[in-house]
Amino acid sequence: MPHALETRVLLDKAEDPRLATLQGYKDLVGGYATLEKAYKSMEQDEVLKELEDSGLRGRGGAGFSMGKKASFLPRGDMNKYLCCNADESEPGAFKDRELMQRNPHQLVEGIAIAALAADAGHAFIFIRGEYDSQADTLDAAVAEAYEAGYLGKDILGTHRDLELVVHRGAGAYICGEETALLDALEGKRGNPRLKPPFPAVQGLYGGPTLINNVETLSNVPRIVANGAEWFRQYGTEQSPGTKVVSISGGVRRPGNYEISLGLPTRDLIYELAGGPLPGRTVKAIYPGGSSSPVLKASEAMDLPYSFEAMAEAGSMLGSGSVIVADDRVSIPHMALRTARFYHHESCGKCTPCREGTNWTVKMLERVVRGEATPMDLDIISSVQENIMGKCLCVLGDSMAMPVSAMVRKFRGEFEAVMAEAAEGIDPHTIIDASPEALEAALEATS
Amino acid sequence: MSSEKREVTLTIDGREVTAIEGEMLHDAARKGDVEIPVFCYEPKLGAPVGACRMCLVEVEGIPKLQTSCSTPVRDGMVVHTRTDQVKKAQNAVVEFLLVNHPLDCPVCDKGGECPLQDVTQGWGPGKSRVIDEKRHFEKPIELSPLVAIDRERCILCYRCVRFSQEVSEDAQLQLLDRGDRTYVGTFDDRPYVSPFHGNITDLCPVGALTNYTYRFRARPWDIEQAGSVCTLCPSQCNVSFTVRDEKVKRVIVRDNPGVDDGWICDRGRYGFEMFGAAERVTEPRLKGGDKVSYEDAIARAAKGLAARDGKVAALVGDASNEEGFLVGEIVRGALHSPHLDSRPAAGPGIDTILGLARPELQAAVPDIDEADVILVLGTDPMQSSPILDLRIRKAIRRNGARLVVATERPTALDGGAEAIARFAPGQAAHFVGELTAAIGGAENVATPLAESLRDASKVVVVWGERLGPAATAELLNFVDAFDTKNAGTDVDGPKTQDGLEFSAHQHVGLLEVPEVANARGLREAGVLPDAGPGLAALALNGHGTEEIREALIDGSLDGLILVGVDPLRDFADTARWEEALNAASFIVAFSTFTTATAAKADVLFPLETHAEKDGTVTHPDGRLQRVRPAAGRPGDIRPGWQTLSQLSLALGHDTGITSQPTAFAALTAAVPFYASITDKSIGGRGIRWQETESAANLPNSATDAGAASADTQRVSASDEAVPVAGALALGTYRDLWAGPITELNPPLKFLKPSQRLELSPEDAARLSLDSGDTVRVTQGDKSLEATVAIRERVPEGVCFLAEGIAGANANSLLNGHQVSVQIEKLSEVPA
Amino acid sequence: MSPVDGAGASNPNLPVDRAVTVGREPSSSPEQIPQLSEVDCPAELKERIEALMARYPDRKSASIPALWAVQERYGWCTPEGIRQAAAVMRVTPAYLESVASFYDLLHTERVGEHRIEVCTNISCWMRGGDELLDAFRAAAEGEDIFVTGFECLGACDIAPMAAIDQRYFGPLVPGEAKTAIDQLLSGDAVLPEKSLEKRPLAGDTEVQR
Ligand SMILES: Cc1cc2nc3c(=O)[nH]c(=O)nc-3n(C[C@H](O)[C@H](O)[C@H](O)COP(=O)(O)O)c2cc1C
Ligand code: SF4
Ligand code: FES
Repeated sequence: MPHALETRVLLDKAEDPRLATLQGYKDLVGGYATLEKAYKSMEQDEVLKELEDSGLRGRGGAGFSMGKKASFLPRGDMNKYLCCNADESEPGAFKDRELMQRNPHQLVEGIAIAALAADAGHAFIFIRGEYDSQADTLDAAVAEAYEAGYLGKDILGTHRDLELVVHRGAGAYICGEETALLDALEGKRGNPRLKPPFPAVQGLYGGPTLINNVETLSNVPRIVANGAEWFRQYGTEQSPGTKVVSISGGVRRPGNYEISLGLPTRDLIYELAGGPLPGRTVKAIYPGGSSSPVLKASEAMDLPYSFEAMAEAGSMLGSGSVIVADDRVSIPHMALRTARFYHHESCGKCTPCREGTNWTVKMLERVVRGEATPMDLDIISSVQENIMGKCLCVLGDSMAMPVSAMVRKFRGEFEAVMAEAAEGIDPHTIIDASPEALEAALEATS
Repeated sequence: MSSEKREVTLTIDGREVTAIEGEMLHDAARKGDVEIPVFCYEPKLGAPVGACRMCLVEVEGIPKLQTSCSTPVRDGMVVHTRTDQVKKAQNAVVEFLLVNHPLDCPVCDKGGECPLQDVTQGWGPGKSRVIDEKRHFEKPIELSPLVAIDRERCILCYRCVRFSQEVSEDAQLQLLDRGDRTYVGTFDDRPYVSPFHGNITDLCPVGALTNYTYRFRARPWDIEQAGSVCTLCPSQCNVSFTVRDEKVKRVIVRDNPGVDDGWICDRGRYGFEMFGAAERVTEPRLKGGDKVSYEDAIARAAKGLAARDGKVAALVGDASNEEGFLVGEIVRGALHSPHLDSRPAAGPGIDTILGLARPELQAAVPDIDEADVILVLGTDPMQSSPILDLRIRKAIRRNGARLVVATERPTALDGGAEAIARFAPGQAAHFVGELTAAIGGAENVATPLAESLRDASKVVVVWGERLGPAATAELLNFVDAFDTKNAGTDVDGPKTQDGLEFSAHQHVGLLEVPEVANARGLREAGVLPDAGPGLAALALNGHGTEEIREALIDGSLDGLILVGVDPLRDFADTARWEEALNAASFIVAFSTFTTATAAKADVLFPLETHAEKDGTVTHPDGRLQRVRPAAGRPGDIRPGWQTLSQLSLALGHDTGITSQPTAFAALTAAVPFYASITDKSIGGRGIRWQETESAANLPNSATDAGAASADTQRVSASDEAVPVAGALALGTYRDLWAGPITELNPPLKFLKPSQRLELSPEDAARLSLDSGDTVRVTQGDKSLEATVAIRERVPEGVCFLAEGIAGANANSLLNGHQVSVQIEKLSEVPA
Repeated sequence: MSPVDGAGASNPNLPVDRAVTVGREPSSSPEQIPQLSEVDCPAELKERIEALMARYPDRKSASIPALWAVQERYGWCTPEGIRQAAAVMRVTPAYLESVASFYDLLHTERVGEHRIEVCTNISCWMRGGDELLDAFRAAAEGEDIFVTGFECLGACDIAPMAAIDQRYFGPLVPGEAKTAIDQLLSGDAVLPEKSLEKRPLAGDTEVQR
């Protein structure tokens, strides 16, 4: 049974493994009825209008209105494309994985309907190569959908065509960036492209291309089925709908929880995820994946979990992935882990990101080795500033934002760790969350 | 193609700047004398990539800094390049670039001419905050036998890899790994070998890519740069010689969009290393090798030639316009002989030459950029005029031009062609005839090509002189088959950079790829058997190349002047040429190197290389260019014009030529359509005579255009290869690397081609041959050895051998007719 | 600097560059687009790549899938395998190698028969990812198993976790590394109760104390 604070729309019936099959999808949630309705009786503009009115914001990170983005695609005879971004590689994010493995047909149906809105004849799901099992699930679902006539030529006898290909990546976070995704899909190294031109105008193979996240597209069937008003009953004015939130790190029940946007962050962490591990307190959180500026627990807990509230607090909702750091996590070490990730994943195309991430890692390594001085903290901050706003895409900023937030908000801890490390003290950084340890801790506290 | 380009006005650092709409901010700023630093930006490489972030500027109304290399100007834009915000960004990017860049400037070859050094000084933060370890690579290592790569110095601007992907399209140079681990490399660490790869050393903004031929040989402060023209092939690329102590140390590009687009091939870049070869002829010599003074040599030559008055012929190859003109003066004026040619084999008659020289039919090199369809006919630009290969690729890649190829042998451009036709060796004339008919609507073998061509509004035909005289004559009919009414007028006048406006009618432009570098100039200077300077008709026509050979053998000619030609290597039918040279009782030769041909000379004069010469040449599209002396002449070499004019004088014919300027004046006086061209109008970029007022002075053809009548059709029906069991029709080609360029040039030696027998997989299977097998290729009583190379795009029934390969020269199997060869396996490829 | 690099007509302290006087030979032959007849591509691989190319409007899009196919066939992207794929795709081997080297899951050097990626990113690190990696490394010692730390695998809910031959397992304790490797080597099902596929939806797990 889901928790009372959960609002399951996308994850409705997701506990039932039959949902992953076409028959199950039909039986359990009335699947593909919307596709049938849209293909048989709706025009491109009607679908578009429904999506725009719903206020659905992109669930991949930037939170841009999906309907609006779809409306940017030029009209005309040229080949247009739709790409589903299933690259989900940002630390802390694992909600698309859940949606794809539990309800693949919802995504396929969403893509087919969104393709109507975009007038796209070719769609691709770019799924990260690590999600091998989920890609297998999608392959099976796509095959079933072709078989049933929901994909392919002359869908349901409507003279409309759609080819859908599941394209597996091969391990590079940057491919989640929409233009890098296009390069990767074109068979190249996944380097981001200069914008403009934006993909909506000139994307895959030079054609207008709509790119949306898995969760965004998974929302489409229900919105088109039930209407924009129905959708807006969930969430806030500026963040309508539900959101699958990934919670991980120092909580008792890490996992995906679907909430109505605007739920207090405290409820998310304490009620749904069960709060910090026994004997611990929450020190800080990344509210929207590892690229979101870190919030101190005191800043975060009373905020509604919505796009606008997080932005106002100087952070972002991003992909909707909360990472909880408890009181025993060393923030400088966490900063280093964060920086290492972006350093490792930087594609290397532009200078500030390539060299900035590399230099930041080297400096943070000196910090945790005790070989740095407080002046180095100033250099670290200045380097983050030098990265921000100067890169080709926002991967560089994605490191600079959380790292500079950590140095700014936890400077004292940085200095303390530096000093301790200089004396050979290794700060405690690990949570022993093995079932045994958990058991022991619980016993100790009860 | 956007034909109208609007001007816009914008403000950069408070200054009003006028720019062309769509132009990048960086370029517009330069017009306003505002320098914005860049690394990755290089318009020659195609669309900007915006990767290095060096060029960030502030544009009012946009919150984030913008890369000026990739931001097109808009009317009314207000741009700041020196605000604190911009300076901070510039400092930041320089600092980032130096995070991993070693500070080995004192021992770096780029020191003193390094963009990174310059930008660091001009826009960097002035001090370094980096104390962390830099990345390490083995340094420097061999990227190719000619280029060293020092990966520690690389700033990952990707210019070199973009060159490989987007200009030469060899896709061999790639980025490997990711992020700051990224490095430039090749598949499996194999050498990067492409005929253009040297260009990456010009492109690299740091000392990461350097030429082995230049490393540590000079420093920027003890060299001079001298602009000239490369005459190692008909592309006539503009180059700059780096000279130290009167010697060429390096050749780099000198951008001229009208000619080369800012690229040169490796032949032009590294060819200079043969200038100092031991085989170089550095003073006049007599047969047997005795050195003599110029005075003595001239006297002996004059004596020997005068004695054969009226029975002397001349063949000219590697020579300037002035030298060609002077040879004409000597042969016709001093020796009263009409026998003179500048072509390695029989060429088209003067009517065809005149017909094809009509300015409205002449495509200029930049016309390729704007073509709808490019027809490559009977030539492989990669082998014969490499820069055109790059130009055609660019037209396809950037402007969506369509390509059709019609050749005997597969070309390097086949991959980009929408239609390909292979005609059998010897069938060129027949094929062009079919193509002409197909354009007119006939259904035949050429129909697929004609379909691509028929509706194109602008067609550029890049055709090879190797097509032969009959096919060349047929070209005039081919052009007539198009609907070109009203179109020509657009093309006549001077061209703007913006390209041409096309009427609904078609325009067809022809661009020849001749056999020798200055072929057009020599013809126009009168080195033809049936036309004098200015392509003027003659009272008495003389013999062409092959008739001269026969006349020497039959004794009707006796003396021979050879200027920059090597018939024993470069002309068909080696045995017959040997016979002719032996039959000639007196030979005066001008040669750069000691060759088998030069050894037959009774008097041998040295020739200057293009780094030493002063003179003009004419590009195949009619552009007169000036070759300027950059280096000192080794030994006792005197200018060619001087020797020739003194020889003429010694023969009693005073040309009045006493200097290069007087030689040039004599040339322009004799060639009416060069009349208004001056040294000044040639300037650094050359000038096409078609675009001057003298263009009207081109003579009309005597007979009607298209008259193939006067031309000898070499391939008569009876010549057609009669299939003999096991025999294959032989086609031959010029290999870019055959000859002195690799034989006398140590750094290029590794490219020296060996003879390969190219044949189709089907024939190979039938003859039980594998790639790598050694075979004997026999034609009549002549044969040579070759290594089998199976090529998938060679048609069945034919095979190909390269000309000019020492020891196994395909020319030795040719006899002026279409031949077929027998193939016998000698040994298997070692498993 | 090695003697062959330097040259010095002008600087007497530098050795003369032999490239100028003698010329150098390439150490091996350059590699352009190989002809199919040269590469001996297994028919099955060729057909698979051709089918992959047919899925896309532009055949080059198949480069990552084609490299996956090569890796599946040879265990890693061998130079020979890359050349075979290049010949089928009509691209240079350099192009494919460049693509392969960009992606963490495509290996241009030999890796073991099995591959284990252990996440050491933020959430897993907090819950013992580093220790888990050490445990896997120790347990795989001497076996033909490639163990590597990896960036976030998108399964922070089962932190600390590992991907074993592309399937996810977690949350794991260091002691389970040895068990997993023994099972892997003996062909048994690996840690069946820790497989992600078997895990219920988070909100449905019995609420812990
Ligand atoms: C470095 C980087 C990584 C990204 N990774 C992902 C990703 O894994 N999945 C995703 O949906 N969006 C990702 N994005 C955001 C996409 O660029 C894009 O905004 C999104 O796919 C648009 O879909 P949406 O509008 O439905 O959110 C990433 C962006 C950046 C800059
Ligand atoms: S080697 Fe030179 S040209 Fe190539 S990426 Fe590095 S710096 Fe740029
Ligand atoms: S020059 Fe503009 S980004 Fe490199």
